[in-house]
Amino acid sequence: MPQSSREIVTRCLKFDCPERIPRDLWLLPWAEIHEPETVRLLRKEFSSDFATSDYFYPPSKRVKGDPYKAGQFTDEWGCVFRNIQDGIIGEVRDPIIKDISDWKSVTPPYEQLPESTSAAYDKIKRFYDSTDKFVMSNCCPRPWERYQFLRGTESALMDVMIPDEGFKDLIGAIHDFYLKEMEFWAKSEVDALLFMDDWGSQNQLLIHPDIWREQFKPLYREYCDLAHAEGKFVFMHSDGYITDIFEDLIEIGVDAINSQLFCMDIAELGRRFKGRITFWGEIDRQHVLPSPDPEVGRKAVHQVIRHLYDPSGGLIAQFEFGPGAKPDTALAVTREWLSQGYGIDADGTD
Amino acid sequence: MNNLLTQIAFCIEKGKADLNSPYPPVLKGENGASELTKEAIDSGISADQILKQGLMPGMNRIGERFSKGEAFIPDLLMSARAMNAAMEHLQPHFDSGDIQHRGTLILGTVAGDLHEIGKNVVRMVLEGDGWKVLDLGVDVTVERFSETLRDNPDSIIGMSALLTTTMGTMEQSVNQIKQQSPQTQIYVGGAPLTQEFSDKIGADGFFPDPHSFAKHLAAQT
Repeated sequence: MPQSSREIVTRCLKFDCPERIPRDLWLLPWAEIHEPETVRLLRKEFSSDFATSDYFYPPSKRVKGDPYKAGQFTDEWGCVFRNIQDGIIGEVRDPIIKDISDWKSVTPPYEQLPESTSAAYDKIKRFYDSTDKFVMSNCCPRPWERYQFLRGTESALMDVMIPDEGFKDLIGAIHDFYLKEMEFWAKSEVDALLFMDDWGSQNQLLIHPDIWREQFKPLYREYCDLAHAEGKFVFMHSDGYITDIFEDLIEIGVDAINSQLFCMDIAELGRRFKGRITFWGEIDRQHVLPSPDPEVGRKAVHQVIRHLYDPSGGLIAQFEFGPGAKPDTALAVTREWLSQGYGIDADGTD
Repeated sequence: MNNLLTQIAFCIEKGKADLNSPYPPVLKGENGASELTKEAIDSGISADQILKQGLMPGMNRIGERFSKGEAFIPDLLMSARAMNAAMEHLQPHFDSGDIQHRGTLILGTVAGDLHEIGKNVVRMVLEGDGWKVLDLGVDVTVERFSETLRDNPDSIIGMSALLTTTMGTMEQSVNQIKQQSPQTQIYVGGAPLTQEFSDKIGADGFFPDPHSFAKHLAAQT
């Protein structure tokens, strides 16, 4: 009997020999707007093994506008985004905490969390029971990104250097809220919890690894402990060059990491970390997917397989079809994954 | 070198802006770049000497460490803050013509793109290296680049893009400005960019970090 999507992903995460490489496809609203036919083909050919729970928090009164529409959007924390392109999210241009000493004026959106969890859990369970896919929580804590939204990126990067001047207070307030969110989802019927923060620039960490370990690793460790205590897997997304913290992510218990593999030395990642964490994609969004040459996409798939695949698991065929990606190359990537997805010998050539 | 100038360079490299700055903790309670620069001016050291032997070596050292991967963006930002604190005392000397900028750089993130941290770091490093930077901000149209170039005809241009979708806009902007003003040097930067892309669109160069850009420009002046 063929393994279900849920079983395939679970076996992959446990290094327990899934019958094929699990698949995951990310589609930004941009893709639906600009490339509907490609989206249709991608969905048809590259059916994802993942689903996100359909439970949403009640709408916040603070939210105004649509995050994916050009114009202005206010989120549930009161951060105001400016967007000039439909289909992607915008940028905070005017952070609400101008002076870090005003950190207490931040009110995390606790009102969104369900007062009575039983109805919410029933809905989440109904969804879980209705699918054989691997179900992710519908929340994504991002303490560092939230801090930047509230303070602005430049101020945030300087605050982290003088943590006793307010940084610890504000990041603590943010983290407390996210812990509540994680607690709610950890007790629900989902397979995995997700969190994210972009930690890399193109070729190094945004901040010194020691500062990351001191200020942020403990937060993520708490998310992982909380999820694991309830038997959930932990997935993390982090853009940029993050080789220097891979070992830490493994240590705190991240089960799967979505990162920009192609910003890093993929062979080195394979040598050091294969078999110890699951690589949740990806295929390069900066050069490979925007290339008009589908062969570039096929070679990228081979490169990932060659360095990161192991028959026992630890690799998910994931990529994002978003702004700049070329339809033919994206389709070539999916078809290459499909043709390589079963019984791969890991000697694929670059 | 004068001891005061050495101390200014040290404060800038370490990001010590002024007496009240809590950063770096090891220098808490000590004078920073601001007080030391004022002291240097009061003691009769020329503004030009303070710039070239105090501010610029400090920013160069942190830039060098950043390009080697030994320092990180927050280190650069703290150094830039210290440099700005010192620069406040030097500004009147720029205004009066006592000291000259190396030249003028028109800087901006191209139209359709709202990202600016990379651009801002370039601005800070180049200001610390003696350049006058006209920062046009983000989402800058080619018309705005051109207008600013018209008003500052001997300037060079720096364009930034983070999104792959705005790399096309960058190409159009470079082409249009080069048609109007072929002698104007245009440099490009941003996470998804490469030297190959720079060559393809007819720009004069790509630099992966602000320090190598500053070194290249310094070699030309």
